[in-house]
Amino acid sequence: MKNYVKALILTAMASCLLAGCSGSSDSASQGDGKESYTIGIGQFAAHGSLDNCREGFLLGLAEEGIVEGENLTVLYENSQADGGIASQIVTNFASQNVDLICGIATPMAQSAYGIGKKQNIPVIYTAVTDPVAAELAGADGTPVGEITGTSDKLPVTQQLEMIRAILPHAKTIGIMFTTSEVNSLSTIEEYKAAASDYGFEIVDTGISTTADVPLAADSLLEKVDCITNLTDNTVVASLPVILDKAAKKNIPVFGSEIEQVKIGCLASMGLDYIDLGRQTGKMAAAVLKGEKKASEMKFEIIEEASFYGNTKVAENLGITFPEELTSSAKELFHEITQ
Amino acid sequence: MLKLNNINKYYNTGTVNEICLFEDFNLSIEEGEFVSVVGSNGSGKTSMLNIICGSIPVDSGTIYIGKENITHMPEFRRLRRIGRVYQNPAMGTCPHMTILENMALADNKGKPFNLRRGTDKKRVDSYRESLKTLGLGLEDKLHVKVGVLSGGQRQAMALLMSAMTPIEFLILDEHTAALDPKTAEVIMELTDQIVKSKHLTTIMVTHNLRYAVDYGSRLLMMHQGQAVMDKAGREKTAVKIEDLLERFNAISVECGN
Amino acid sequence: MTVIMGILEEGLIYAVMALGVYITYKILDFPDLSVDSTFPLGAALTASAILAGVSPALTLILSFLAGALAGCVTGFIHVKLKVRDLLSGIIVMTGLYSLNLRIAGGRANVPIFTQETIFENPFLAEHVPAPLSPYVIVLILFLITLACKVLLDLYLNTRSGYLLRAVGDNEALVTSLAKDKGMVKIIGLALANGFTALAGSVYCQHKGFFEISVGTGTMVIGLASVIMGIQLLTPETGTSPFSSVFKKELRPTTAVIAGSVLYKACISAAISLGLEANDLKLITSILFLIILVVSTERRKKVKTHA
Repeated sequence: MKNYVKALILTAMASCLLAGCSGSSDSASQGDGKESYTIGIGQFAAHGSLDNCREGFLLGLAEEGIVEGENLTVLYENSQADGGIASQIVTNFASQNVDLICGIATPMAQSAYGIGKKQNIPVIYTAVTDPVAAELAGADGTPVGEITGTSDKLPVTQQLEMIRAILPHAKTIGIMFTTSEVNSLSTIEEYKAAASDYGFEIVDTGISTTADVPLAADSLLEKVDCITNLTDNTVVASLPVILDKAAKKNIPVFGSEIEQVKIGCLASMGLDYIDLGRQTGKMAAAVLKGEKKASEMKFEIIEEASFYGNTKVAENLGITFPEELTSSAKELFHEITQ
Repeated sequence: MLKLNNINKYYNTGTVNEICLFEDFNLSIEEGEFVSVVGSNGSGKTSMLNIICGSIPVDSGTIYIGKENITHMPEFRRLRRIGRVYQNPAMGTCPHMTILENMALADNKGKPFNLRRGTDKKRVDSYRESLKTLGLGLEDKLHVKVGVLSGGQRQAMALLMSAMTPIEFLILDEHTAALDPKTAEVIMELTDQIVKSKHLTTIMVTHNLRYAVDYGSRLLMMHQGQAVMDKAGREKTAVKIEDLLERFNAISVECGN
Repeated sequence: MTVIMGILEEGLIYAVMALGVYITYKILDFPDLSVDSTFPLGAALTASAILAGVSPALTLILSFLAGALAGCVTGFIHVKLKVRDLLSGIIVMTGLYSLNLRIAGGRANVPIFTQETIFENPFLAEHVPAPLSPYVIVLILFLITLACKVLLDLYLNTRSGYLLRAVGDNEALVTSLAKDKGMVKIIGLALANGFTALAGSVYCQHKGFFEISVGTGTMVIGLASVIMGIQLLTPETGTSPFSSVFKKELRPTTAVIAGSVLYKACISAAISLGLEANDLKLITSILFLIILVVSTERRKKVKTHA
């Protein structure tokens, strides 16, 4: 027992040394209304949309007068989709007494809340598809604690509307998803509920790893008139495989956000993640300045989606975009980026 | 007591390298016998021990202890009534456990290994006594890990441990071969002491012809899976090292060496 | 101070798992990969059980049992079906992934933020005085880890525990003792995976949610903790730089727990220094290698001096 305690104290001291070289938190932390802030941004994985979120988040803060390098110190870490690392990152933020933690994507937001609430650090999240299912908010959108943010729920009905406009005769839409991704499951339910309003039938196929993608794509392509994507991480990572197979069969693939359209999806009604991040940044600013508490703000969703199209893909498929879509397009791409 | 009947054992069956180890091998050992086994490399001495202990299965034939057929009994069950000491001193003890813990382990053979305290405090004195009989000073090093002991010390412990609980058989597999001559002598004397005091039926494989002649009540010479010499009682006492050497040479000539 | 608290919390949670890896890797000499799936098994079971209204403390025991069962399966596959050790672990790890998802109700992410846990419940809220509350989590973790360590120490000193130590040390001796070495291995694997699942349960209650990816790399964390703890803190493998601090030889279980905290401290420092998560695995493996090489060097020296 004595040795046990001694050993722990010794390692704690060693930890102290190790942690000491990290340079500790900002000297200013005397409560609200102060001059400068330190925040920790934890991002769950590195991909285009999430990077855009972070960029937008800092823009949003800056618009409210909180500028990185002037009155804001930003600690940024990426967990590369490792849940254990995610929680370690947040623990690190908490131990450096940050004023606020920003969690990008669901697991990071949950880790941040789990740790943050023990030390009364407010958490702002973004790119969480379903904050209610993640138990970060109640059914009416009120936060469960000092945590709020923005959701990147896909604009399902607008996507269906767009597909109908581009493909007037299509009957079935295929969706591939990973069985272990919660967000994919809830989005598919939404697609199924809304599909009949637009005269579609949804055919879904579940996979468990990247290795399943080629076979699943082959079988899905046999059954459908077009494919639409979710923000399913595993499927998106293998998108080139699906695009290649679909192109050979002349079947259009719709994306769920701008990056997918860039690499060869026909079109997408997508969120602008920079806007999403900007909106989140403003919420964070309100919390930092002490104007509002996180627990007083419901989480927010971007209502409007914008059209993104790829004319090169359309040309390959022999499709022309309807005028009303192209005129309202946020961005059109004329080549396929590999 | 122990009977091997019509044992057949082949290695690499069905390949060009097929080796016949035993063909219709028979052996019977009476209770209380101390059998010394000699023979050249590959003659089947150690394989015979492995077959008796169940370390390797037989292709056909039966093995009996008393009236019980143990041919298909797994090795660990057979070893309940058999104590075995290996050539490698490391095989008979646990290097990362202390002398005391090793003794306690051996003492518990045949009893349940349950959640009772591993070392029975009341038995410590008796462990110390029996270690004292080795004359190696181990009784003062009860809390030393066995891994730091010399090969001879470990082998002495292995011998002591193998015969600690009531067993019917003691199997010695060239147990002095890895030791220096002086230590080997000590271990051999110790072996004789233990065998005599506990009245154990013993099979000892050895390359040391003098040990084979000096110790034991019966002498077996193995060659190509057969016992080419088998002398017991008065016949055995009359055997000299020269006789064994002569026989060895004769075999070698037969084999064309 | 909060830095240390954070490291202690993380380290102590994983310490229970490291005790499990200590059993397989150090005592049994069995590279058991099934821990990568029994850790989330404990977490999944805990999340589901707590949502179903099971008492949080009871989930610890349930998780231990479930983990032990999984360990038995690994053992059975290895011992009875004669599959190689690494492969048996991989088989169980792969199979349990699906099973874990099922246990979690088909979801890869189950939050329990609003539920009572061993760290957050009315009892604690009522009985813990306010000045102590920042330390309550570390205290609870400390007690759980201590309990596991003491129980394991006690077990290793029973007859059954002796046999477990013997089987990793010298299989032949276990057979000589008329005991089925296979059964002993199964018991060891059951214990190890029980501890791992228990750690998973604690992890889940600490973080407030279950996530299917939490098991990734469990084995590596465990190994790193065990190797760091044992090589650096126990004098047996050479002269420990810290050996003068301890009057008696440090128990390996204590060293393993300390190793786990130390490992988390290293990771924490690495993150703080701005190293990317991408590089962490590489750093872990390099750290690993250095410790292993240094300790074998030392052992060689000890031998040549003898």
